[in-house]
This record gives sequence, structure tokens and C-alpha cells, in this order.
Amino acid sequence: MLVATVGNVLVWAVWVGAAFACLGSGIAVVSFSNPFYSALALIGNLGSLAVLYLLLSAEFVAAAQVLVYAGAVMVMFLFVIAYIGPRSDSPWMGGPSWQAAGAVLAAGALLVEIVVVIGLKASGQLANSEKITSAFGSPAEIGRLFLTDHLLAFEITSIVLLVAAVGGVILGAHARGGAEEVPPL
Amino acid sequence: MMGPGVAWYLAVSGFLFGTGALGVLLRRNPLIVLLSLEIMLNGANLALIGFARNLGDGSGQIFALAVMAVAASEVVVGLGLVVALNRKRVTLDVDRLNTLRG
Amino acid sequence: MIWGAWICLLSPLVAAVLITLGGTRITRRTAGYLATASCFVAFGGALASFIGLLGRDGSQRELVSTAWTWISGGSYRSGLEVIVDPLSVFMMLIVSGVGALIVAYSIGYMDGEDEERRYFAYMALFVFSMLLLVQGGNLLLLLAGWGMVGLSSYLLIGFWHERPSAVAAAKKAFVMNAIGDATMALAFFLLILKGNSLEFGILGGEFSSTVATLVALGLLGGAVAKSAQIPLQTWLPDAMEGPTPVSALIHAATMVTAGVYLIVRTHAIFEAAPKIADLAAGLGAATLLVAGLIALVQVDIKKVIAYSTMSQIGYMFLGAGIGAYGYAIFHLMTHAFFKALLFMTAGLVIHHLDGEQDIRKMGGLRSVMPRTHVAFAVGGLALMGIPIFSGFWSKDGIVSAAFASGDALGYTLAAAGLVGALLTGLYTTRLYFAVWRGEQSDVVREHAHEGHGEGPRTMTVPVGVLTVLATIGGLVVIPGVWEPFLYWIDETAEPLVQATVTEDYATSVVAVSLALIGFFLARRAFEKGRQVVTNPGIWRVLEHKLYFDEAYDALFYRPAAALSVALRRNVEEPVVERSLDEIGSGTIHVGGEVGRIQSGLLRIYAIAVAFAVCVLVVVFVAVR
Repeated sequence: MLVATVGNVLVWAVWVGAAFACLGSGIAVVSFSNPFYSALALIGNLGSLAVLYLLLSAEFVAAAQVLVYAGAVMVMFLFVIAYIGPRSDSPWMGGPSWQAAGAVLAAGALLVEIVVVIGLKASGQLANSEKITSAFGSPAEIGRLFLTDHLLAFEITSIVLLVAAVGGVILGAHARGGAEEVPPL
Repeated sequence: MMGPGVAWYLAVSGFLFGTGALGVLLRRNPLIVLLSLEIMLNGANLALIGFARNLGDGSGQIFALAVMAVAASEVVVGLGLVVALNRKRVTLDVDRLNTLRG
Repeated sequence: MIWGAWICLLSPLVAAVLITLGGTRITRRTAGYLATASCFVAFGGALASFIGLLGRDGSQRELVSTAWTWISGGSYRSGLEVIVDPLSVFMMLIVSGVGALIVAYSIGYMDGEDEERRYFAYMALFVFSMLLLVQGGNLLLLLAGWGMVGLSSYLLIGFWHERPSAVAAAKKAFVMNAIGDATMALAFFLLILKGNSLEFGILGGEFSSTVATLVALGLLGGAVAKSAQIPLQTWLPDAMEGPTPVSALIHAATMVTAGVYLIVRTHAIFEAAPKIADLAAGLGAATLLVAGLIALVQVDIKKVIAYSTMSQIGYMFLGAGIGAYGYAIFHLMTHAFFKALLFMTAGLVIHHLDGEQDIRKMGGLRSVMPRTHVAFAVGGLALMGIPIFSGFWSKDGIVSAAFASGDALGYTLAAAGLVGALLTGLYTTRLYFAVWRGEQSDVVREHAHEGHGEGPRTMTVPVGVLTVLATIGGLVVIPGVWEPFLYWIDETAEPLVQATVTEDYATSVVAVSLALIGFFLARRAFEKGRQVVTNPGIWRVLEHKLYFDEAYDALFYRPAAALSVALRRNVEEPVVERSLDEIGSGTIHVGGEVGRIQSGLLRIYAIAVAFAVCVLVVVFVAVR
């Protein structure tokens, strides 16, 4: 009983830390003016999310998050940021303020709607959670699901990745015969 | 389940989504727009994983993995665009990139 | 005999087609010869039909030959048919005979004209159309011929199309004829509605008096337009813009008499609507007088003869209206002879004087063109109704028939006819003296020494033939002695009135004396060097043709023109044109406005997507 309570407190502590790290780094990503710092903040965000996944018994997904997202995607981001060179602009937008108002309004509306919908639809059920086995979230389970229930998603995902790879190569290739000057904006 | 209930996770997820949305809508640098987009996607992922745990269904995790793959692909293409723009000496400013107007 | 009728009908058509297709590959002379030959062939065919009919009994003298069924719809049927009966054969002979002479005359008159082939094609077309009109076996074919003669008239009046006055005259003729065509068409619609057929026989059928009146009125409208009677007479003087042979053939001998033919052909319906018949006679009498008066002040030689034509057709309408069909047709024949003769001699004069048509510039031509003078004199005497020339026999027959019909209308008509005789004497004599007598004018003197005679053979021979016909042509009706012509026409159209021989000769005496009084009055005026009409007020009214043209202009043309201008300004431009423009520009405008949504800015698109998601979430949640 004590162990359970201690465990609970521990989980709560870890959760609070990870959650705040997540939110803080999220705000940081959006707020920094230097994209390099934003990218680094995002890495922090991804890491804290991995911790949250672990708390939710999604071990494989947490590992994939760190490997793929933090490891591959963010590295790519950092490469490109470095390649582009130093660029800083003001954190916030140019353009008419009604766009800012509209943006805030849209984001706020989305947030409110999410809350309302979840509150309406799932309030009763959110309290209790299902019992899960220890195999839940394990690579074996993921693999089994991918190859049986969600085979189509698996295959399509692979095609999407292929297309992205091809697209990336084409976009990155040097133009033949010299680049023409694009008229300045 | 020990620790916070799924509602807490959903709160974090919603917050992340909103933050990411604000970043997408309000920043000028396309790279930061892409980063904000990643945050939105991660927020969605968190909600999926949370519900997977809540309902005991592994499909949520599968979905999250698929989202991750798609996000990676989209980042590849987006960054490719930014690199191409940079090569053409075009300003990297979302407010100035409007030649695809109607 | 039937094939004679078909040959008569089709040979001018063949000529017209050949000349048209031949184009510039045939010489101008050839076109003329072709047209003339076709008319003579037609005359031959008519003669064959005539002889064929002669060989038959009275009651057997109506034959209809159908080529094929042309139109059939429901229970209505119309064939392409040709009728061979005394009336139609007579008209065929006149049209093809006088037509052949005039077309032959045109070879000389139009010699050297650039577009001579077009002229002869049109003339052949006209002869065909007129033959179709008179040979048509049902009202539908008659209407076809009716319309085509109107077309040929338009084409020939406007033959010299570089002259704006000619073009205007052609349009005027066509439009006024179109009014008549419209009333005729309405009458035909009524006939089809009530009688389900347009055969000639249907006209004798049972109709209510309203229907009969309406049909007769419609037919009368057409006849009045085609024959240039009041109130649709204003086009005929203007039609003198055409070449003189055209005036001779179309506007004297044949087309303008089509109205009379129509009335006689459809006499059954006019008998069923006596008020309309009286109206026809009344209009004829009115035209007779008015035209005679206006002819007294005209200075163009062709216009004098044109008004004379109008007046003489008034006589024919008078006769047809009161039911003296035989005499009306008889006068048609004699009029064809002497009026064509007058026009052709006038043409010889104009040709000799190189286009001069003003009689004030003529005078003393008697010594210059002696034979033409004789021909003109014969024509004039026939016109005035002097015995034994042709006009005497026919015109007086009509006046005496009017007397014989007895009632107040009859006496008024007869009186009008007699006054008309006086007027005819006056204007004919005035014209004669102005052109042929007196001193030679300057114009005449200039042309006096051209030694090529009075005209080429192609012109003088037809004139000679017509002179003979104008002299003896009336001798087919000598009342009380010999009336084969009247018996001939009687089979087709029984006369309603018949004067006694005494009445006939009594009226003749009065009419001839009136004509001679007119002659002496006019001669005295000429010798005194003044006009017949001296009162300047009357002169002005008559010169303006009793202001008919001005009245029509004010009543019909101005309002119509104003209406069309107003419609254009207030309806067409703002509503129709502008709306079409605005559909286009409005769409472009709206498109432009809508296009502003596509700003090209990522932010706008993203905000739009976010809002759309918000809305959709609500929709999905609310609607499930």
C-alpha cells in the first residue's frame, strides 16, 4: 500500500516535471527569434514527450520518438538551419493586426472546442482506465498490430516515406544549367 | 492507472496543440513555422497515446507511429522547399512569399 | 392543251434560270433574245390552250392540272396545280403577248446598259411570276405568284440601284405591297380555318356574313395594294424610277391589273359580302377621280401616264365592284394595249432626247418623230375613249353597267365615271400638246438632227403592233352586235349587272362628248399658253398628290421611327446591351473580389483552415 502510494507520488512528480518541461519548451519554440534556439527547444520538447509516453506504457513509441523524431528529424532541421545561416527576425509577425487577432482567436477557439468536445463526449469514461497487460506497448505488440490489424496503414506509411525521400532528393538537387534569377519580391 | 488520469494528459496535449497553432499562425520565419507544426503534431500524438492507454487499445500507438512517419516525410519536403528558396536568394519570410496569389 | 399551259408557265422561268446561270458567258444581246423568245414561246403555249378551250363546250371549259401534291397537313391539301379556264387563258394571252412585245422592245431600249443580263433575267422572272399568279389553280399558288411579282417589281424598280431615289421607290413599292400581302394572308388563314381549303371553289361555299366580309376585305386589301388604289396608291408614281419598259409591263399592263384579276377570280366571296364589293367600287371611283386630277399638274411624262394608269384601274375596280366582270376584264385588255403603247412611245421620246422626261422641256416633236407621234396619238385617243379605238368600247361599258345597277351608289359611280372621262380628256390632251405640238424646245432642237431614225427596229416594231391592237382591240365587244369576249369571260364570272344596248350607247354618247369637251378645253389652255389648272391653291394641293405621302409620313412613318428610336434608347441599350455587358463585367468584378481571398499568404490560408476546422468540429459534434 505504501509502495503503491509512493509509486503514485513518484509518477505524479515525474509527470509534473515532464509536463512543465513540455509546455515550457513548446512556448520556447514559438517564442525564440533565432531558429537554432527554437530547434533546440523542440528537442527538449520531444524528450519530455518521450517521458510522458513512458508514463503511458508506450515504450516502443517513446523509443521511436527519441530515435526518429529527436534523432533524425531534428538533426535534419539543425542541418538546414545551419546551412541557411544566421537569420533572425522578430519573433512575431508582420502584417495587419487583424491577422494576429484572427490567429489568436482561431487557436483559442480550437482549444476551447477540444475541451468542450472532450468534456461533452467522454467525461464519464475518462475517469476509469482499462486494465492492461504488461505486453501493452511492447515492440512485440506493436509489431503484431502492424502486421495484422493495421497492415494497410503500415504499407501506406512506407509508400509515403518513399515519396518523401524522392521529393526531398528532387528538391535538393542542383538545377541543371544554372539557376535563373527569380525576380525579387 | 497510477499518476494523473488521462484528462491531465489531454490537457497537456491541448495546450501543446494551441501553442503550436499560435506559432504556425504568427511566426514569419518558415523554419519556425515548421517547428511549430511539429509541436502541433506531437500534441496530437500525446492525445492518441493517452487514449490508447485509457482504452487499452494498441491502435492508438499504431496511429501515433504513423503520424510520426508522416511528420517526418512532411518535414523532409518542407525543408527541401526552404533550401530551394534559399538557393534562389528569396527572402525567407512567409509574409513576403505571395506569388501564388489568385 | 394542258401541256400548252405548262409550257406557257415554265418557259419564262427556264429563260430566267438560263440567263442567271449563264452570267457573263452569254452576251447581253443573247440574254435579251433569250428572254424575248421565252415570252413568245409562252404566248404560243397560251395560244394552244386558247384554241384547245375554244374547241370545247361552254361548261367544259375548266381544267385543273396538278403536277404533284405540294403541301398537305392534316386534312388540308394543296397541289401544284394549274388552271385552264377562260379567264386564266385570257390573262395568259395578255401577259405573255404584251410581255413578249415589251421584252422585245427592251432589247433596243436597254441596249448598252451594263447590267442588261440582270434586267432580262428579272423580266423573265417577272413574266413567270405573273403567269403563275394568273394560272395558279388554287389561292395558295396565286399568293405565291402575287408575292413573286412584288419581288420582281422591287428588283426592277430598283434596277438602277446606284440611284438612291430608285432604291427608295423600290422599298416603298415593296412595303406597301407587303401590307396587301398581309391582309391577303389573313383572309387565307380565315378561309383555311372555316373552309379547310384554298381551292377556288371554296369561295362559293357557305360562310357566315362576318367571315365572308372579313375574307373579302382581306382580299380587297391585297388588290388595293397591288393595283395602287386609294389608300395604298402612293407607290405607283415613285415606281417610275424604273426603266420605261418596266413601267410599261409591270405598272401598266400586267402587275397592277392583278388586283382586278383577283377580284374577278374570287368574285364569289365578294358577292357574298356585298358591302365589300361596294367598297371596292367606291375606292375605284375615288381613285379614278383623284388620279385624274393629279395627272393634270404632273410635269414628268411618265408620271402623267402613271396617274392615268391609276385612274384607269379605278375604272376596272369600279366595274369589278359592281359585278360587271366581263367589262372590267375587257377594259383590262384594252388598257394593256393602249397604256403599254403610251409608255413605249414615251420611252421612244425619252430615248431620243437622251433621258429628258420633263414635258416643260419638250414641244414640237411632231416633226422630229412623226411615226412615234402617230402611235402616241392612237394611244391617247384610245385612252380618252374616242370611237372606234379600243378604249371606247371598254370604258363606256363599265359606266353604263354602273348606271344599270340602279341604286344611289350606282348613279354616283356612273357620275364619277363620266367626270373621269372629262378628266382623262383634259390630261391626255395636255400631255399630247405639251410634248408634240407647239414650238420645238431647245432640248428637242439639240436632238433633232440625229439621223438614226426614231429608234431601232426592236423598239419600233412592238410599238407598231401595239398601235394596231390599240386601234382594233376593242372590236371584240360591240354591244348589241357581237360580244364574244363577254361570253368568254361570263363562263368564269357571271356578271351581276347587264346594261341594255340603249343604255350602253346613251352613256357612250355622254362620255365621248365629255372627253371631247376636255380635249377642247385643254387645247385652248395650251394655245393660250397656260396650264389647265390655274388656281395656285389647287395646283399646290394636286402637286403634293393631295398630301397622301405627307399624311402617311406623319401617321405611320414618324411614330414608328420615333418608337424604334425610343425603344433603342430606353430598352435596347440600357437593358439588353448593358445587361449583357454587365453580365460579363459583373462576373469579372465578382471574380476579382473573390480572388482576393487567395492572397498568397500562408497565414491567411492557415487561419482559414483553422476556422474551418472549428466550424466542422461543431458541425460533426452537433449533427453527429
